[in-house]
Amino acid sequence: MILTTVYVLTGFVIGPLLGGLISGLDRILTARLQSRIGPPILQPFYDAAKLLGKEKTVVNVWQAFCAFGYLAATSMAVVLFFLRSDLLLILFIQAVGAVFLVVGALASTSPFSQVGAHRELLQILSYEPLLVLVVVGIYLETGSFKIGSVLTHPEPLLLKLPFLFVVLGYALTIKLRKSPFDLSTSHHAHQELVKGLLTDYSGPYLALTEIGHWYEIMLLLGLCALFWATHWVGMTILIVVTYFMEVLIDNVSARMNWRWMLGYVWAMGLTLSLVNLIWLYTA
Amino acid sequence: MMTNTLTSTLVLLPFLAAGCCYVLRSNRVRSLVVLVTGFLLIISAVGLIPLTPFTLSAGNLLGVRVHDLVMVADFLLLFLILYFGFKHRSLVVKILSLLQILLVAYLEFFLIKEVPATGTIYCDSLALIMVLIVSVVGSIICFQAIPYMRNHEAHLRLDKSRQHRFFLVMILFLGAMNGLVLSNDLLFFYFFFEVTTLCSFLLIAHDHTATAIQNAVRALWMNSLGGAAFIVGLTGLYYQSGHLDLQLIIINASPGARVFLLSLALLCLAAFTKSAQFPFQSWLLGAMVAPTPVSALLHSSTMVKVGVYLVLRLAPAIHGTFLSQCVAIFGAFTFLAAAALAVGQSNGKKVLAYSTISNLGLIFACAGLNTPQSVTAGILLIVFHAFIKALLFLCVGTIEQHIASRDIEDMRGVYATMPLTALITVMGVIMMIMPPFGVLLSKWMAMEAAARSFYLILIITLGSALTVMYWARWAGTLMSDPFAGRFKPERQPLLTWGALGALSAGAAVLSLAAPWIYTRMIAPAMSGTYLLPYRASGGILENAAGVFAVLPLSVVAAVGFILSIWAVKRAAGARIVAPYLSGIQVTEPGMFKGPMNRLVKAEAKNYYLSSIFGEHKLTAWVNLGAGVLLILMLGGTL
Amino acid sequence: MLKNLIQKSRIKSPWLLHYDCSSCNGCDIEVLACLTPVYDIERFGIINVGNPKHADILLVTGTVNQRNKKVLVNLFDQMPHPKAVIAIGSCALSGGIFREAYNVVGGVDKVIPVDVYVPGCPAKPEAIIDGVVLGLEKLKTASLPARL
Repeated sequence: MILTTVYVLTGFVIGPLLGGLISGLDRILTARLQSRIGPPILQPFYDAAKLLGKEKTVVNVWQAFCAFGYLAATSMAVVLFFLRSDLLLILFIQAVGAVFLVVGALASTSPFSQVGAHRELLQILSYEPLLVLVVVGIYLETGSFKIGSVLTHPEPLLLKLPFLFVVLGYALTIKLRKSPFDLSTSHHAHQELVKGLLTDYSGPYLALTEIGHWYEIMLLLGLCALFWATHWVGMTILIVVTYFMEVLIDNVSARMNWRWMLGYVWAMGLTLSLVNLIWLYTA
Repeated sequence: MMTNTLTSTLVLLPFLAAGCCYVLRSNRVRSLVVLVTGFLLIISAVGLIPLTPFTLSAGNLLGVRVHDLVMVADFLLLFLILYFGFKHRSLVVKILSLLQILLVAYLEFFLIKEVPATGTIYCDSLALIMVLIVSVVGSIICFQAIPYMRNHEAHLRLDKSRQHRFFLVMILFLGAMNGLVLSNDLLFFYFFFEVTTLCSFLLIAHDHTATAIQNAVRALWMNSLGGAAFIVGLTGLYYQSGHLDLQLIIINASPGARVFLLSLALLCLAAFTKSAQFPFQSWLLGAMVAPTPVSALLHSSTMVKVGVYLVLRLAPAIHGTFLSQCVAIFGAFTFLAAAALAVGQSNGKKVLAYSTISNLGLIFACAGLNTPQSVTAGILLIVFHAFIKALLFLCVGTIEQHIASRDIEDMRGVYATMPLTALITVMGVIMMIMPPFGVLLSKWMAMEAAARSFYLILIITLGSALTVMYWARWAGTLMSDPFAGRFKPERQPLLTWGALGALSAGAAVLSLAAPWIYTRMIAPAMSGTYLLPYRASGGILENAAGVFAVLPLSVVAAVGFILSIWAVKRAAGARIVAPYLSGIQVTEPGMFKGPMNRLVKAEAKNYYLSSIFGEHKLTAWVNLGAGVLLILMLGGTL
Repeated sequence: MLKNLIQKSRIKSPWLLHYDCSSCNGCDIEVLACLTPVYDIERFGIINVGNPKHADILLVTGTVNQRNKKVLVNLFDQMPHPKAVIAIGSCALSGGIFREAYNVVGGVDKVIPVDVYVPGCPAKPEAIIDGVVLGLEKLKTASLPARL
């Protein structure tokens, strides 16, 4: 019982703190890649605290509901991850958050918000099957969807699921809103769609979506970590390399359109998953 | 004795009440009859819970053997269908009904030597679940139909009310459905199967427009095809086993025998037509011209469930066969294809129709997968889908009567004018795609069950991603409105609010009670044939491979919901700003100042991706694919 | 403590909205120059957002004319409190060399309250950064919302 409480609190509190730090690191790394110095590492926390202290303005009160729903779902997903629950269930709960964000954006009639929301739906459509297939791969290898059992697996999953790790990389790039998949909302797309999905969330509600995003970062990196769960050194190396690759890809690629994203991600992602799943199936 | 009374109330009372509805032409009396019948049905269905499982023998009714009564009724029914074939000049209906008449006659007069004395009625947990759905959801829909049809006829400006015919068929249908799921004698089953076909035909054609009649005839011939497949299958089964006792057939299954397997494959084919699987989907899409309570009752929550019920029943008999695999692939294929087609639709009722086809496909996939887990998932999906889809249909019907359109684009911002209905609709959508609600619980089970087979899981994941897309889009569109003023529920008849409230609350409570439904209703149906797939303790469903904490998650969700509502309350005090329109907005909501200082409305339409998911792109290919799979299924048994 | 954190964060994370009223683009290029590696104002947490609903500081360049004055007011209104307005360059300050033109209203302060005036034609990036820092003083002292 005490252990459970500890896990819940860790997921709930440490999760976003770590996620915020990682996104601060991300900004510094990006700046360095562009020969700039970049903001302090605590910058995401300053941003969120500032937003929380701003005046509340809304277009439609249900945006508030959706922002809270997003935060609740993503934090719940991370807590369940720390409780070593069912991976498939965690993915479903994570999807709830994404859907809430979309519904909140659709609640505003601004065309920027609407277009952003639909692009986000297409992003969900692109990455959701991939994430599920990754989890199915983990199940086929370890015989369980429960993280508890996955962690006791004697050898690193990466050895048996290399292609599925690449597939997870695609999902990660979309989910972290990195180029070439940052269609729905992006730090750099002002001309084209203002802030897309997040255009009409403002002040404290924007802060909630920001914090929710930190939880999501944690969840996805946790999923990556499962691929080398046998030793903490391997786990660290895997996460660092993966995240560095994400930032690099973000900086060297241009934003593409949704047709390309859907076609490319499904073609590559599904083929790679299928190859890996058949390999597991026959092995 | 008790079981006798309750069963006859469930089956025979609706037939009586239907007659009353037809004869007594006063609106008041008819409403009273509908209400009383509905409540009696609900009470009797609930009363059956502690009594299951039981078997009954239908001996004599008014001094005549029930078997003979059914036989006579069967012929009358088939000749009636033949008559409609002549009336509407449909060659296919004529041929199919003649074929059925001949086969029934052959079966009754030449093959069947002695009428079984026992076991004509069998009620186990699965049948009980269906009875509960039919009686509870069906009655609620009939209640809502009372104000709906009043409005409907007011809109059409009819000189003479035709409601007596409408309620005749609706109430009669309830009895037929109860009879169908309780029958153990397959000839009884077949009779009620045909009654539902006829009810569906009459109700689709109810408005008597040219489209309505055309679509009704299409529904008739497609379902007659199913009926014909069914009776051919029955003949085969009788050849093989010498009786038509469903339970005995399942227990003494001989999957090695060709005739047996082919007969079951034909029964599956009948199930596919009834559940409007590809390539028979066009009848269900056409059926959407009917008044919305019909779509809610027949074409989403009950009648189309007959197909999946039949296959779930037969699942133990085809365990481990190629046929079973074919059913699984076919179902998964339909799940994916119908979800893709739903993405391309902007017509709300068509989206609901495709979503129904899609979910039924998933249930077929579960039945075909034929593991304890997947069968549990299939049964749970029947329950939750029935409640939520009925709710969504009634919501769309209510909105449609208000805005005179069923197009999703026209429902944009309907929250502004009918906030409560819009919110209930969004609730329905949420219960359709989000944990911890039941539909997602069953989908989770289905996925974990299918994970061992890589092609099935691939198809199912793609389908479920598409499902999220079309539902989320719709929910957002309903709410899409610059907020103005306080929340004030609109006015609707009491029966409408009652029906919407009962269905949404029912779905939510059932989701919470999923572990108990599992232990009380599904586990008894499992034992014997399958091992128990899950342990249920403390509201948590768990096995070695996975865990879904229904109760804890629901508690968390409820807390989250209350917090979010509190946030909404507080946000009501926030400053309301206009949606962002690059700073060129004017005070009129949603408008901006365009060229020559003229006001232009800022509009954004949804993405329907019709260049990929449009009917004109997909339907032909999907039908081809489904046809190939069907041939594979039938051919594979030979 | 929370109050202190928020006040500190306001200084640490000013997000800019840049609106070009009808500038000759001279000042705009200088504004954008601030984002380049040479000045790298992201070091101070400054981001150029394209959306008034996310912005803390409104940078305005160019003269206000009859056509765009309503737009300027709309953008200003959509910014949540606390917020600061910084007028950049001669045109934004007073209308500059265009002030006599038939369609020109004048400086930015004719339509919305301006907190900091940054002169120059064009204004230097250093001056713009200095102006933003002055504007931060206003954000720091602004009151917190009654309920968080």
